[in-house]
Amino acid sequence: MKRTTHTARRGATVGLAIASIAMLTACGTTSGGGSDGGEAATELGEMEGQVSLLAWPGYVEDGSNDPAVDWVTPFEEDTGCEVTTKTFGTSDEALNLMKTGDYDVVSASGDASLRLVAAGDVAPVNTDLIPNYENIYPFLKDQAWNSVDGVAYGVPHGYGANLLMYNTEVFPTAPTSWDVVFDGSSEYAGQVTAYDSPIYIADAAVYLMAHNPELGIENPYSLDEEQLAAAVDLLKQQRENIGEYWSDYLKEIQAFTTGDTVVGTSWQVIENVLESEGVATDVVLPEEGTTGWSDTWMIASESKNPNCAYAWLDYIASPEANAAATSYFGEAPSSDEACEYREDCEAYHAGDADYASQIWYWSTPIEKCLDGRTDVQCTDYAAWTEAWQEIKG
Amino acid sequence: MTHATVPRPRETPARRVSVFLSTHPRARLGLLLSAPLFWLGIVYIVALVLLLVTAFWSVDSFTGEITQEWTLDNIVTVITGSLYQTVTLRTLGVALAVTLIDVALALPIAFFMAKVATPRMQRILVIAVLTPLWASYLVKAYAWRSVLSQDGILEWLLAPFGGSTPGYGLPATIITLSYLWLPYVILPIYAGLERVPDSLLEASSDLGGRTWPTLRLVVFPLVLPAIIAGTIFSFALSLGDYITVNIVGGANQMLGNLVYTNVGAANNLPLASAIALIPIVIIFGYLFLVRRTGALDNL
Amino acid sequence: MTETQPAIRLTALTKEFGAVTAVDHVDLEIAAGEFFSMLGPSGSGKTTVLRLIAGFEQPSGGTVELFGQDVTKRAPFDRDVNTVFQDYALFPHMSVLDNVAYGLRVRGLGRKERNERALRALASVRLEQMAGRKPSQLSGGQRQRVALARATVVQPKVLLLDEPLGALDLKLREQMQVELKQIQRELGITFIFVTHDQEEALTLSDRIAVFNDGRIEQLGTPAELYERPRSRFVADFVGTSNLFDADRSRTILGREGHHSVRPEKMTVTRDGLRQQGVVDVPGTVVEAIYLGSGVRLVVDLDDGTRVTVLEQNDRGRQHDDERGDRVVVSWHDDDVVPLGIEVLPGISG
Repeated sequence: MKRTTHTARRGATVGLAIASIAMLTACGTTSGGGSDGGEAATELGEMEGQVSLLAWPGYVEDGSNDPAVDWVTPFEEDTGCEVTTKTFGTSDEALNLMKTGDYDVVSASGDASLRLVAAGDVAPVNTDLIPNYENIYPFLKDQAWNSVDGVAYGVPHGYGANLLMYNTEVFPTAPTSWDVVFDGSSEYAGQVTAYDSPIYIADAAVYLMAHNPELGIENPYSLDEEQLAAAVDLLKQQRENIGEYWSDYLKEIQAFTTGDTVVGTSWQVIENVLESEGVATDVVLPEEGTTGWSDTWMIASESKNPNCAYAWLDYIASPEANAAATSYFGEAPSSDEACEYREDCEAYHAGDADYASQIWYWSTPIEKCLDGRTDVQCTDYAAWTEAWQEIKG
Repeated sequence: MTHATVPRPRETPARRVSVFLSTHPRARLGLLLSAPLFWLGIVYIVALVLLLVTAFWSVDSFTGEITQEWTLDNIVTVITGSLYQTVTLRTLGVALAVTLIDVALALPIAFFMAKVATPRMQRILVIAVLTPLWASYLVKAYAWRSVLSQDGILEWLLAPFGGSTPGYGLPATIITLSYLWLPYVILPIYAGLERVPDSLLEASSDLGGRTWPTLRLVVFPLVLPAIIAGTIFSFALSLGDYITVNIVGGANQMLGNLVYTNVGAANNLPLASAIALIPIVIIFGYLFLVRRTGALDNL
Repeated sequence: MTETQPAIRLTALTKEFGAVTAVDHVDLEIAAGEFFSMLGPSGSGKTTVLRLIAGFEQPSGGTVELFGQDVTKRAPFDRDVNTVFQDYALFPHMSVLDNVAYGLRVRGLGRKERNERALRALASVRLEQMAGRKPSQLSGGQRQRVALARATVVQPKVLLLDEPLGALDLKLREQMQVELKQIQRELGITFIFVTHDQEEALTLSDRIAVFNDGRIEQLGTPAELYERPRSRFVADFVGTSNLFDADRSRTILGREGHHSVRPEKMTVTRDGLRQQGVVDVPGTVVEAIYLGSGVRLVVDLDDGTRVTVLEQNDRGRQHDDERGDRVVVSWHDDDVVPLGIEVLPGISG
């Protein structure tokens, strides 16, 4: 769930400005909350002895899933902060969980981060207090999805692409296009899967950008009414052939294992698990490009354990820990230094701007068109949510 | 005479309280009920009222904050939206199918337990019926996901006879929900049958009633309230379910999923509240219909 | 029905529940039109015999014949007998009329005809005005009569009654006893009546079988059972008896074997006079219980034997407290009943 505004990559300033304005406007119209989340800390104090993390599955591993996979214990030993973790399946779930105020730190994707900032659920982060911040790829810092008006709201973690997964027995040769889950999906009726979130509409938009240029889609997160309608039509047509939607990655792993699902959108980490279990699947980045995520560690504005939270942000940005976490999840790390602890940075095209240009990082669709159009209003996330429910029927 | 040797009870504060309570029935009742009533009032009624009220608010789409301005938009959306009509009908269909299947399965099982089995067998069967309730709901639903999958045991069993697993979808949902709620249907029917004296069955047989007339004219009318009590469980539980359909329902969604999506993914609590009112209205309608049968006394 | 055949013939009828033998090789014939009672304490097997005849239980051995036909293997609904249950077993969800019409309904009679016949049956027990009520709205005696009407409306050849009066109070019970007898005479069918109340059995029955421990202890008319009990059990269970074991029979009665004397056959004299032709023994009154119609005196004879004497209340009382009075207890030799040669565990009064 993540999407970095792609615009940001090409015209970071423009994107940032638009997003900021949109956000501030939103804040202004909200009757209740909506603040900037207060001031960033200026200095660190005593460790509180515990920290509560809200994270994507695979981001915080303490060896309980796989004894060999553990980068939490060293942190606990170093800092004395005991870690409790809650995982979530969609950005929306994360957004909701953060509203409970039970968590100190969240790993937010681009379609959640700005909403968290706007709702005042996360606080600015003083990057001077985070020594490892310095080494992070410059193109990940101060982006539209992790800062507002030049104020950083978190530390970049890693980024990756939503990939097309397929059963290698059903597909002897790798598919090269998303076509197999859209226009050509009827061939695999009942065995196609898709990600169960309104943000998946962007995947359809990416496909339409390549196959229906007359629609004039410039940015899959910036759809006017007509463009959204086209994407919805495509997804409704896909719905006929969907076996099931997934948001729980364990459910997707099982569906591919049993053969109930043979093709659909997936993550590298899922392929890693399936491969280790010997299931005949593989993933590919299709020619149309794809959606993806760039995640940010953020600190709750009402965190009860800010010092441990800062310690975690610094720790998870350290080359070794960052390498371990991003490697396990199957995404590119946040620094070249981290690549020294990984042998597969190549595979993830870490730091490769060309590859990154094929990925549309998850971002929250808002009424102000992210692609710079001013003559139309774009559809916002609420409209996408409504559309998504209609698609599922 | 020995009464002089029995010591009088000592006058302790606890004793004075007991004396006070035993002579003040209202105070006794108040003390007994105030805690549970407080709990029921705050947790249950207030939550329900809040839900109702929330349905008339709206939500800021970007920040996800609730805007507390009165609006009928959510209600109108839910009533007129074709999505909600479709999903409501689908959910009703699933709940009815589950209820019918459960009653059809529960009647003979409960009858055997209550009227045929020996007392020892009866105890074993009651435990057998209750045992699945000890396992987690999720475990059972995931077990069915595995049973119903393409390389699951159902496929393996049916393939030699030319059948195949229904796969994930509405039939799978109905099967799984029927399994999950069956104990809740068996138990009230069993209890209802237990309350029918054996002598009534003997009287019917004695008067010339064979098995079927006895069941139809004597047993069925007497356990009907218990059957309805059972259906209230299966019907209401099915109506509100969203986990089972998520696990074995394939791409289908029920009302519970819409609520869940709107609370979770869409973060639109007001719309979720409005949708949640649909099953509440249906259940109240159903309860109203069955109120006359005396089934509510069996709950 | 064939008149020459008995209504019921049980041959070596046996019923075992696990290790317990409830009915032990019972042979019995009951004539058509007879009012027959099965009397015994609870657990004596009388109700089980009734349920075996009705078909609610399957015997472990032996046969049940109904007018010469072996019905042992037949289901209850295939037997021409009907039952009045101890708890009446009225269908609580049906009106009184529907209850009575039930047997006709399951036989396929149309609503009109079955209601007419059910109403006639209700009229015969004087309950036609209650036809529309539910059983729960009736008194115990009324329910009893509905149960009777329901069982008789299908015109069974044999009516089985399982302690039907047990739940009624004394006054109602006596009234219902009279009614039962009348109904049985009017219908002219066989009644088999199970009871543990010896007085009720004596009042109603043409013949009585006394059950003990799964067997018939004695079979006979009420008078035979009362006047000539053949065993201590019958003597004791049917009415009360003064029992004399072999030793005391020898010393007091001058006879060999066990004997009994009914309390009402004994008289008490207080003037110390002895009578001719009777046995008379001096003793001391230990208890005097005023019964209204008479007085029950418990007397310890001088040799230590305790007897009970029932005195008619045909004279004024001597004084209120007769305890300690010296008396002479006397009875006619003819009233001494020999009880066979069974060994008695002890004496009782």
